[in-house]
Amino acid sequence: MNSLAQRFSNNGPLAQIGKATSLVSEDDDFSDAAWGSEAGFGSVAKGVPTFTVPNVPDPTAFLRLHTDDHADPSCRIKIQHGTTTLAFRFQGGVIVAVDSRATAGSYIASGTVKKVIEINPYLLGTMAGGAADCQYWETYLGMHCRLHELRNKERISVSAASKFLSNLVYSYKGMGLSMGTMICGWDKTGPAIFYVDSDGTRLKGDLFSVGSGSTFAYGVLDQGYRWDLTDAEAQELGRRSIYAAGHRDAFSGNTVNLYHVKEHGWDFIGNYDVNKLHYDGPGDVAGSPGHGYGYDVRTVGLSSANPPAAAASA
Amino acid sequence: MSRSYDRALTVFSPDGHLFQVEYALEAVRKGTCAVGVRGKDVVVLGVEKKSVLQLQDPRTVRKVAMLDDHVCLAFAGLTADGRVLIDKARIECQSHRLTVEDPVTVEYITRYIAGIQQKYTQSGGVRPFGISTLIVGFDPHDSKPRLYQTEPSGIYSAWKANAIGRSSKTVREFLEKNHKDELSREDTIKLTVKSLLEVVQTGAKNIEISVMESYGKVTSLALSEIEAIVADIEKEKEAEAERKRSRLAATAAGQAAMSQRATEPGPSS
Amino acid sequence: METSFALTGKGYVIIAADTTAARSIVKMKVDEDKIKALGPHLLMAYSGEPGDTVQFAEYVERNIRLYQIRNTYSLRPSAAASWVRRSLAESLRSRHPYSVNLLLGGYDTASYDPHLYWIDYLGTISEVPFAAHGYGSYFALSLLDRYHNPEATLEEGLETLKRCIDEVTKRLVVSPGKYKVKVVDKDGVREVEI
Repeated sequence: MNSLAQRFSNNGPLAQIGKATSLVSEDDDFSDAAWGSEAGFGSVAKGVPTFTVPNVPDPTAFLRLHTDDHADPSCRIKIQHGTTTLAFRFQGGVIVAVDSRATAGSYIASGTVKKVIEINPYLLGTMAGGAADCQYWETYLGMHCRLHELRNKERISVSAASKFLSNLVYSYKGMGLSMGTMICGWDKTGPAIFYVDSDGTRLKGDLFSVGSGSTFAYGVLDQGYRWDLTDAEAQELGRRSIYAAGHRDAFSGNTVNLYHVKEHGWDFIGNYDVNKLHYDGPGDVAGSPGHGYGYDVRTVGLSSANPPAAAASA
Repeated sequence: MSRSYDRALTVFSPDGHLFQVEYALEAVRKGTCAVGVRGKDVVVLGVEKKSVLQLQDPRTVRKVAMLDDHVCLAFAGLTADGRVLIDKARIECQSHRLTVEDPVTVEYITRYIAGIQQKYTQSGGVRPFGISTLIVGFDPHDSKPRLYQTEPSGIYSAWKANAIGRSSKTVREFLEKNHKDELSREDTIKLTVKSLLEVVQTGAKNIEISVMESYGKVTSLALSEIEAIVADIEKEKEAEAERKRSRLAATAAGQAAMSQRATEPGPSS
Repeated sequence: METSFALTGKGYVIIAADTTAARSIVKMKVDEDKIKALGPHLLMAYSGEPGDTVQFAEYVERNIRLYQIRNTYSLRPSAAASWVRRSLAESLRSRHPYSVNLLLGGYDTASYDPHLYWIDYLGTISEVPFAAHGYGSYFALSLLDRYHNPEATLEEGLETLKRCIDEVTKRLVVSPGKYKVKVVDKDGVREVEI
């Protein structure tokens, strides 16, 4: 607006040059974004997104060159990819369950990663894909959720929060961000889950699973899922689905982290070792089957042999 | 960065006034009157329409604008400034839906509009908007009617009933005297028309009424409907005046009788 | 794979699009609505690059709505199609083009006729009696050449649409499971079950 008004106020050539230089260094302007809905983008101080990218002609190619661990196992940056995360909506709220393994190539970098990001007391984000990307942008999302709360005197809806994130990552589309996340929470409309990924896809749904182990998780989850699950059944289903992925997927495992989102916000239910789940089960918790999840444990003493009665008695 | 400090037209006077803003308020006071009244589950906007010239198309002169499905705005002051502000607000309404998915709340869009108005009191080379606005509507998933006002300075506030523009003080005082909480639809409309009649001498043909009943339900009253209400009010006034006259006559008669009795010679003691 | 069909008939346009949202080999969602109502008499089906599709569709939706609020009247189908095409063409020449294919169907309340536009991500536009995007188009177009009737009633139109869907279900390896079908005619926009 200032530059427009200036054009009308001074027309001399000197003023024109002055205008050109001032346009370059125009940082004392405050834009509409400071309080409009465009504040959906970018940092708090400025209205536009700012993020440092490698100072090379093609940052995307540069990133690919140094992160592609299939073509080059000795590449400098190894992005954490293997994961299993899931979330589903049911009568009693939202269940969020994740594994805790971080792999870098074929190396298990950590077995105690927190893949649920606690955005605020009633919003959770899950982490799949680049750990740094998820952690950074979801924390950043939390900042904006708080600002929304202060500006509008009410909590941000899950839909608005997820849309903010999806618009944000969409503005970086093609620049190498890697995230597959579920934004889960409870707002005026009840429990809600949105799947958001770095393509810019944003889907509202009842049940999602993301990561390399997601197919294994889906296998257990889809079969056991009903809307009218009890809290205990739902927690057990989440636990068991992540266990299944942790067991079958080489890039997932170690432990399960389980969360339950209810009207008053989320509760952390517990952390379960996948090996213990396999042999002993989750222990003395709600919904526990009282034995290990593992196939061999579950079927111990059972046999498919079908001998004729005479042979059996002999 | 260190661009000159004297770009701004709006600078403080030594005693702390922003003259440009006060002049803008003066422009508002010259504008046609607009009234907003909040009822129980309805909110009504009434505006004074300038008489159109004989050959002018009245449809092109509008002072109430839809900002979105559920928000309406009326303004008083420079019509041309109003148009610019309305367009900015309309864009923001859609932009908000695009970025946040939800429609704007009435307070949000009020704050946005007031924000723009404020910006024009603190930026270089611009002048403030010469308009005050009344913004009415319903928030999404909510049944409570809302009424807000903004001023050229960028101040905004919520009201039960308020007036802006020409003779707004008179109208506001009238509203203060007559507004009750939990007004029905009919009473809200009537109060709006009544308060406007305080300043609009020419009656129904110079009044425009918009009624918002719930989220997204807005109706503009037809001239005939307004005429009926005006006639109703006039009849009431007439009856009131009649009652007053007869009461006055009665008191006068009573007084006359009293004085008569006083002058009559009492019974001799 | 994403598939969408559309066809015109006597006073209406039918648009159908599959409802799956897939990521690699996983169906993330099976009830995704990929047809937007852009106005009282305008429908748009969108498919293409994940992310781009919804971003572009919502951008179009809000701009068409803004036009309606500013001008009281909505854009006519031909005008809306031109605007959408231009938006795509401009985006194609930007740093981040939208990769979105569209079917735009509308009923022109001024001239009382239905219009259908086939638009691709390169900004190609073509007004057609029937159209399809995605792998389904390889089966449906020839079928529609054979069976489409510009004077068909809505029931007959839906019958022809069913032929397309059945054919794709029968022959396409990765055929989508469910479709959402919407109709636009003089009474506006509505969803129909098939």
